[in-house]
Order: sequence, then structure tokens, then C-alpha cells
Amino acid sequence: MDVNTTRRLFLGGAAALAIWPRDLFGAPGGESAGGEGAFPWERPDGAATDSVMVRRLYLDLAGRIPTKEEAQAYVGSADPGKRAALAERLLGSRAFADYWAMRFCDILRVKSEFPINLWPNAVYVYHARIRAFVERNEPWDAFGRALLTSQGSDFRDAEVNFFRATDRRTPEGWAEAAAQVFLGIPPSRLPRERREEMARFFANVRIKNTREWKEEIVYVDGEDRRGELCDRLFGAGRQEAADAFRRLVRGWIFGPADARARGSGGGAMRLKDTLRAIVLSDEYARGSVTGGFPARRLDAEVLDDAFCALSGAKRNYQSPAPEPFTFLPPERPTVCIEDGSISNGFLTLFGRPARDTGLMDERGGDVTAKQRLYLFNSGSVHRQLGGIAAPPGKLPDGSPNPIYGRGFAERVDDIYWRLLARPATPRERRLLVGVWKEQGGGKGRNARPGALLHDVAWCLVNSKEFIFRT
Amino acid sequence: MRPAKSVVEIWLWGGPSQLETFDPKPDASRDYNGGLKAIPTNVPGVEIHEWWPELAKCADLYSVIRTMTHTQNGHESAAYLMQTGRLPGGGEVCPAIGTVIAQAKRASYAGDLPPYVILTRPKGRFSEVGFLGPDAAPLVTGGRPSSPRFAVDGIVPPEGVTPERARRRHDLLARLDLWRPDAQSANAARAAAFDAAGAEARRIAEGDAAKVFDLSLEPKELRDRYGRTEVGQSLLAARRLVEYGVPYVAVNTSGWDSHKRHFETMKRRSGETDAAVAAFLSDLKAKGLLDSTVVWMSGEFGRTPKVGWEAPWNGGRNHYARCFSALVAGGGFKGGRVVGASDETAGAPVRRPVSPQDFLGSIYELCGIDPDGPLPNAAGKKMTVLPPASEEGRLKEIYA
Repeated sequence: MDVNTTRRLFLGGAAALAIWPRDLFGAPGGESAGGEGAFPWERPDGAATDSVMVRRLYLDLAGRIPTKEEAQAYVGSADPGKRAALAERLLGSRAFADYWAMRFCDILRVKSEFPINLWPNAVYVYHARIRAFVERNEPWDAFGRALLTSQGSDFRDAEVNFFRATDRRTPEGWAEAAAQVFLGIPPSRLPRERREEMARFFANVRIKNTREWKEEIVYVDGEDRRGELCDRLFGAGRQEAADAFRRLVRGWIFGPADARARGSGGGAMRLKDTLRAIVLSDEYARGSVTGGFPARRLDAEVLDDAFCALSGAKRNYQSPAPEPFTFLPPERPTVCIEDGSISNGFLTLFGRPARDTGLMDERGGDVTAKQRLYLFNSGSVHRQLGGIAAPPGKLPDGSPNPIYGRGFAERVDDIYWRLLARPATPRERRLLVGVWKEQGGGKGRNARPGALLHDVAWCLVNSKEFIFRT
Repeated sequence: MRPAKSVVEIWLWGGPSQLETFDPKPDASRDYNGGLKAIPTNVPGVEIHEWWPELAKCADLYSVIRTMTHTQNGHESAAYLMQTGRLPGGGEVCPAIGTVIAQAKRASYAGDLPPYVILTRPKGRFSEVGFLGPDAAPLVTGGRPSSPRFAVDGIVPPEGVTPERARRRHDLLARLDLWRPDAQSANAARAAAFDAAGAEARRIAEGDAAKVFDLSLEPKELRDRYGRTEVGQSLLAARRLVEYGVPYVAVNTSGWDSHKRHFETMKRRSGETDAAVAAFLSDLKAKGLLDSTVVWMSGEFGRTPKVGWEAPWNGGRNHYARCFSALVAGGGFKGGRVVGASDETAGAPVRRPVSPQDFLGSIYELCGIDPDGPLPNAAGKKMTVLPPASEEGRLKEIYA
């Protein structure tokens, strides 16, 4: 099959769009990918291709992989401002608030149970407040001040949960939490004098119970000096907190090594602004084959959502603690789970943090043999691959899914687009069509390509290209 | 004494009643014993509750501790204490006994399965791995051992995936043009780690680990003896895992939290657990594995001695940590013994109280792990296996 033939791609839906994304196959000669250059992930100038960029933007800003339609719209667009436009749309989406709230809940230790023990009511209130900080693009220093100077009930004054979600509910414990969250200094590296100095501002903070089960009141008994601490942390000319915030956000995009770097620059302490500057930078547009853009393994929750979205599988998240039990709606994305105490074997395997320490590295980003064994061999992944290889016969609007009228090669492309935001390369397509023919494809008893498509989906799910944000 | 090679933990989540297990009080009033009886065992002088007739026939294989005691009446804190020997607090999560023993024995274990296997669901509610990190995480089987095919996610290939098809898939995967970073690039190390993990996973997948979970290889009569229940077939799988060499196996059972309608729940749970544990101990003995395998069975606490007959409990028992029972067998524990004695309603120890630290310390000792020794960890924490405690309390009177 030559390039001209494969140009006539059916890009989903009823419309046959005769486009062959130039950018994607800018080097049509380089068919043996990996060995000879970066095709189809990197352009000759070392920048990422559109397929890589669209997946990167969705994963970083919306916490999910793009759908086939979303990927094709981006790749097929000739608009030079499409990256900025997509970034803007994603920054304003609900998914953005959900995903980034999850990340801030990691560092603020939002969980019901041991060892943090916020308990469910407070978890939901605190999560909603953190999500609002993300969604409203509230300045980080203003949010920090609201947390650090809060008083009231953990059920009604969400910010006071900062004082409950710590290792130790003592002035030293709060000093360590404040240093960790706002200065990026973990307790092990916080000098004793500094801890003592910060602790003095919390000396009069108290917590008491009420007659309501698990309601607690945070209050100040005597002079409240917490505002002074906020002035020192966030006041005019203070760079340390601004630098820490920037490192935090960059660490989430570029990895822990970047987060450890001492870089400075400060700037606006608003999440959306910081992220916008990152994703529109040249640095962010680098390729990941030779270009040095750091690959990141998909988060456990994001992977779970990808499998559910691709296969139509239902989630089943619940919490046994405390009674009455909590049951989460099966259609609700896993990144939206408020409570760090709610998990399952899959999420734990792929590194959902227990939120015990609030440290960034509690979230596991490695690839382990156990994870790979699971993706190779698990019965649940097997069932989900079935859903990926054979999507529902009807689209959400009730019309028949057009993919079922298509030939084998288009079915293959459909799976590629949905998992990897790109079509199969010409060589891949030739290879797979060859295998299909060897199996007697399309004729007689082997007329249905289900098993081979299932195997193709298996291959893609077990690839670096799927498991990493490249 | 040679250290035990393996440990099998039978965890009774929820806290089973001491009265309806190993500390019956037939002479107390109905408000305490529900009008139920004790039965003699094959060890003269030792009686257990009437709902455990199979274990009554083999009491020479195990010993009973009737005076387990601590102060935590919440599930989570109590489970943490019974699993780690420590009280919650201090802002860190310590590893549970299963993780610690598996890590200690990892170097001398050559199997492909992880050194700690959990059947079939995790305990949840706290991380058993604690600060030892994800590398120490147990394999949690999932699946249903009592179904015709015990599909252990990740180990037992799904139906329809033959070894031939699995091989074809790997061949195909290797031929596709999928993203691969340049060898000189910043991503090369990540890609190499991915490939190395894949090679190890493939070696395990193509080895004989999956056979361990193929319970159809066991005689039908033996499977029946364990009971075709989740707990029964889980324990059968546990025996196969011990044969394979896995250092630590936990069988997590639940449903023991009988606040309401306690007696109905307890009778059902006891029946299937009784058959399963008795078959398991006899089978270990018959296979010559009992002497090298510590078996322990307990929940996080017991239950209130006095029955709540009134609504809404309708014959219920609540959480009770002051006095409860546990079972130990094999691996250097003597059988046929009773440790400690409780008062007339099983409400408090009157002789020989046993703390969680004493209990866990004994298991560690029999496994050749010094409970007072250092707990190695990559996090760099200076910590002993158990918190400092007097070794007087350890169960030396029933060490073989």
C-alpha cells in the first residue's frame, strides 16, 4: 500500500476526509520507525508532531486521553493558533478542575482515614474548596492565606481542614505542613530553627470536638499571629513561595527532576496562568524521541478512566468507612474521586498515592513488572480490550456506529486513533493487513476480524506509546 | 529450631466473637452465651464452641490464645495494631507483618510470584506496605477460587489466550512502529525500565506460576473437604502457595462484624471457616508442611460479651478489644495448648494476657526474625521490627 492509497483515510463518522496529516507523516520515507528518526512522533526539527501534542495537552490539562474525534480535529486543523485555542478550552473545562484538584488533594492529604483521618464529611467539603481554587484560578498565595488563617468547623469552613490534614496536630506539625506545601521543603529538610520559628505563629491554634460526630472546630485561643506568618510567606518581595509554586507545577508537567531544580522566576501564582505559559512554550513543544521532552507514565486514575472510556466498562468505587458506606456513581471519572482512602487493586498497582505524607513522590510513576504482568494478562484488561476492539454498535445519539461498515484497515486505524491519537503508519497497516490475510481474512469462517483486532488493541495497550505521555 | 519457611495468615476482618469461637462460656447466662454450648476436642480438657466441630477433631494441631488484649475498639486502629504491633500516629504508616516477613525472606526465595500473596482482596483501609514502598507490595489475586477457573489477574491468562496466542501477540508488538525514544535521549532510561519490567513479566507469565492457582489439579475429594467456598478454596490455594515456597500468604475473610443479628451471621461464617481451616491444617500436616509453616488466625478484636437483644441489634455484639481469641499452629508452635484464661464471661483476661506485640513478636521469632532488630528500609528510618517491648510476653510456652 503506497502513501497515496493511504491518503484516502476515512477519518471517522460518515464523512470521508481525504487528508493525510502532513505533519504526522512528514517523513514518508522513514517507515522503519524508532530506528531511523522520530517519525511519526517528531518532526525533523525536533518538535513534537500534532498527534503527540494533542495527547500531551489533553493528558496534562484535562487528565484524560483525547477521543478519536478530538484527536482528528486537532491533527486535521490548519489553524496556526490551534495549540493556544485547545489549551484555552481545556483550561476552562470541568475536567481541568477535576484533574488538578486531584493533584492538589495529593499534596494537601485529602483522605478520610488513617493516618490523616479527615473523615468523609470534611473530605468532601475540603475537596470542593480545593477544586474551587483550581477552577476559579484563585491566586495560590490568597488560597494559602485562606488556609493558614482559617477558623471554624471542619464541615462548614473548609479551609480549617488544612490544620486537620497533618501528621501531628501541633504547632510544629503545622509548621512542617506549611513549609512542605508552600515552600516545597519536606520535614526531613526543614532546619530545626526554621520549624521552631514558624511554629510560634501557630502557638495558639486549638482544635476541639463538638457533639456532632467527627465535627471539629479549629480556633485560636489568644493572639492570632498566623497573618504575620502569611505576610512573611507571601508578602511583597517574597520570592520563595512563588518559586516553590512554580517548581511544584513544573514538576507535575516535567517530572520530579525538574521539580528539584532550583529555578526561579516567580511570576503570577495562578495555576492556569502558570500552566498556560508552560504549554505554550517552545520547551513544551519539544519532541520526546530525540527532543528531550520527558515522558511521564499515565496516572493510575487517568489509566483507569482511559480503559473505562475506551471499553465502556463500569467503575465500582465505594468506601466502607465509616457507615453508612459511600458508593460512587459508575460513570463518574476516577480522577474525580475526592477521598484518598478510596482505592482498589488497580489504582494501588499503578501508584495512586495513599496521601499519607503529602509528598509529590508518594504518587508512583514507575513501570513495574507487576504492572506489565497485569496489562499482559489480566482478565479485566482482556474484557476491556474486547470493548476497545469492538466498540458499541450504536453511537450515543442512537445512530449505528459507522465503523462496522468499514474494512479491516479502517478498523485498525480506528483503534490506533482512539488509543494513540494517530493512525497506523503505512508500514504498520501493511503488516497488519498481511497478518489478516494470512489468517484467511474476510473469507468464510474467518470473516470476522475480532480476535486480530483484539490482539492489536492488546499490542497498543502494552506499548510505551500508550502508557506514557510522550 | 529451624526458622519457619512460610506464614499463612487467616484474617477475620470485622472481629469475630471470642465466645462463639475458642472461648465459649457454657456456664454463663444466655445474655452472654446466647444459650449455645461448648464441645470437647480431641485434646482432653480443651473445649471450643459448638459451631467449630471440624476444628474440634484436630485440636492437637493448633493452640488457642484466649487472652489477646489491647485498647483499640475501632476497626482501623485495631487492625493496624494487630498487623504492625504499633499504635496509629506519628504521621507514618508502618508496614504490616506480611510485608515485613516477605521482605526479610525475599533473598532466600527463588519463586516468580511475589513473596507476599493475598487471597483474594486486600484488607484496605491502610497501606500494608507502609513506608517500605510499592516495590514491597503484595500480589492481590482477585478472582474467585471457588469458581471453576481461579482467574488471578495478571498471572493466569484470560480464557481464549493460549500460550501460542500470547506469543503471537508479543511477536506482533515487537514489529509495530511504536514510540521508542532515542538511546541518547532523556527518556532512554524510562524506556529501558519499561522494557526490563516487561521482560521480567513475560518470564513470569511463561513460567509455571500460573499452575499454582490451578486448583483443578487437586483431588476432588480434597477440594470438597476444604469446602467449595471462598475461604475453603482460598486456603487450598494457600497450601499450594506454601508448597511453591511463597514466604507469606494472607487469606482475608470478612463478614465478622456482627453488630446486628450476630448469631445468624456467626453460625454461617463459622461453619465454612471451620471446615476450611481444619482441612487446611490436616492437609499441611499430611504433606509434611506444617512444621515449617506458621499459621495464625485472628481478627482485629473480639466482641462484647453481653448480647444486645434489643432493637436495632436484635441479638448483636459490638467491638471489644479487651479480651479475644486467636489461633496459632505449625512452624514451631506446639499444638493442643490453650494460652491464658478469661473471666466467666470472656470479658477480661484473668491469667496471661497477650498483647499484639507479644503475639506478632512470637511469629517473627519463629520465622527467624528478631522483633527487636532493625527494620531495613529505603526510606532511611531508624526503626525496629516491633516497638520495644518485654520479650517476657512472647508465647514461649508453646514454642516447640
